Amino acid sequence: MLNLMRLEIIKFKLGSYIKGAVIANFVIVGLILSIMFISKFEGSTDFNNYQEVLTIIDSSVRGTFIIFAATLIAKLIIGEFKSKTITTLFMYPISRKKLIAAKLAIIILFTFCAIVITNLFVTAVFCFISESFQLLPDTLTASMITQLVPSVFMNAIAASGMSLVPLYFGMKKYSVPTTIVSSILIVMVISSNNGGFSLNDIIVIPIALALIGVGIAYLAIRNIEKIDVH
Amino acid sequence: MTYLVQTNQLTKVYGGKEVISAVNMHVKKGEIYGFLGPNGAGKTTIMKMITNLIKPTSGDIEIFGEKLTDKSYDVLKRMGTIIEYPIFYDKLTAKETLDLHCEYMGYYDKKEIDHVLNLVKLLNTDGKPVKDFSLGMKQRLGIARAIITKPELLILDEPINGLDPMGIKELRELFKVLCKEYGITIIISSHILGEIEQMADTIGVINNGRLISEVSMENINHSQVDYIEVIVDDGKKAAFILGDQLHIANFKLIDDHCIRIYESSVSQKMISKALIEQDIGIEAISRKTSSLEDYFMKLINGGVVNA
Repeated sequence: MLNLMRLEIIKFKLGSYIKGAVIANFVIVGLILSIMFISKFEGSTDFNNYQEVLTIIDSSVRGTFIIFAATLIAKLIIGEFKSKTITTLFMYPISRKKLIAAKLAIIILFTFCAIVITNLFVTAVFCFISESFQLLPDTLTASMITQLVPSVFMNAIAASGMSLVPLYFGMKKYSVPTTIVSSILIVMVISSNNGGFSLNDIIVIPIALALIGVGIAYLAIRNIEKIDVH
Repeated sequence: MTYLVQTNQLTKVYGGKEVISAVNMHVKKGEIYGFLGPNGAGKTTIMKMITNLIKPTSGDIEIFGEKLTDKSYDVLKRMGTIIEYPIFYDKLTAKETLDLHCEYMGYYDKKEIDHVLNLVKLLNTDGKPVKDFSLGMKQRLGIARAIITKPELLILDEPINGLDPMGIKELRELFKVLCKEYGITIIISSHILGEIEQMADTIGVINNGRLISEVSMENINHSQVDYIEVIVDDGKKAAFILGDQLHIANFKLIDDHCIRIYESSVSQKMISKALIEQDIGIEAISRKTSSLEDYFMKLINGGVVNA
């Protein structure tokens, strides 16, 4: 399985995705900081405490990498069917289930790791700068951090699950645009924030979406040995 | 007699339409099996069923003495294939492509990569991604990929498409060598008879999803018919004379000027004498053998009528 994942990475030169993720890290940091600095200079009171800003960081990170995952799905799975390279792949003496599972594993692992690492990185940079420049009225406490860590992890797990939902739409007609657009819709549902309230806070919604994503992945694998590949 | 590949009433239905109908094909070990048929006859579909990409609606396939099922993955290790046209992960170079292929096939003799690239004459492509290759180069790389793991069965679907005449000749020789010296069984498809004729030991003729006939080349060579072809200025009149004066029944008016006489008892001399006496101008007269092409055209057209 690990070997299959390694081959997928070589085949699609996925190293460039890590580069993309790093760039995304810096863009998110830049965005958050510029918002904070602008609101400080304008004297606006949009952001009063760390809790609010950390939520915004978390949801923008998740949004970014759910769409990232959709591009991976488009490349690793949809693209293989579309360009017919799947016929080459399925003629190897390896179970089709394993081949697809390896691809899904890469997508899930990448999404999960990217969300956790980016969250930690952006939060750390933000907190450091915020403390140095007094961007927020309240102060950072140790209990905030200890509360933050489990919620970041839980959200990352849920996001990794729901990042698979676009697979369902993409596989209908092997369409890359459909895959990406459906991921953007999911992000709009999950990461929108109205006055501090987000649908992601209703715990049932992220869990349900994550389960649907896992279900879709299961369906994709279940019947793969029976289908005709043209 | 045991066969390396054998299908039994193999049938495939798409949307209520039978694209492959009850095909029973038999491929002997160590032979080149030519698969001949017009475009869209079902050659590729059958080959995809043999490689387990497409699942039969009914009937079954036996390869290496085993029945093919959804989970038959091990037999794929013993096959090399090009189906339809060679498909690659086209950002990789030729060497990377073969390297990846070997990894997936579980074949670890990396020295072979240079060897096969030499064999198919695909050299000096270092650093060039496959997407920049010409069709002929892709075809060569596809063949290299198919043979690198030294398979027991080679399935080649229209492998000579896009190659120049020199390339076709080289590859034809290569296939013969692979078959005769390495004992690789080859199933090769084409819609060009001339190609198949020069390589195959057995020919399977397919049209409209039916295997019309399966014959060994030896048998075909025996069953060829001789005839005398006469080119005259007035074909109808000549035909009348042949029937009326020489009492020949077995002849055919091909067009206004050309007549073919299938009766072996009459000589060219008799025919020309009779025609000249009736003042018919003869432009040419010669004894000919019916070509393989005629033989297959007959088969294929016959198939259309029956279908």
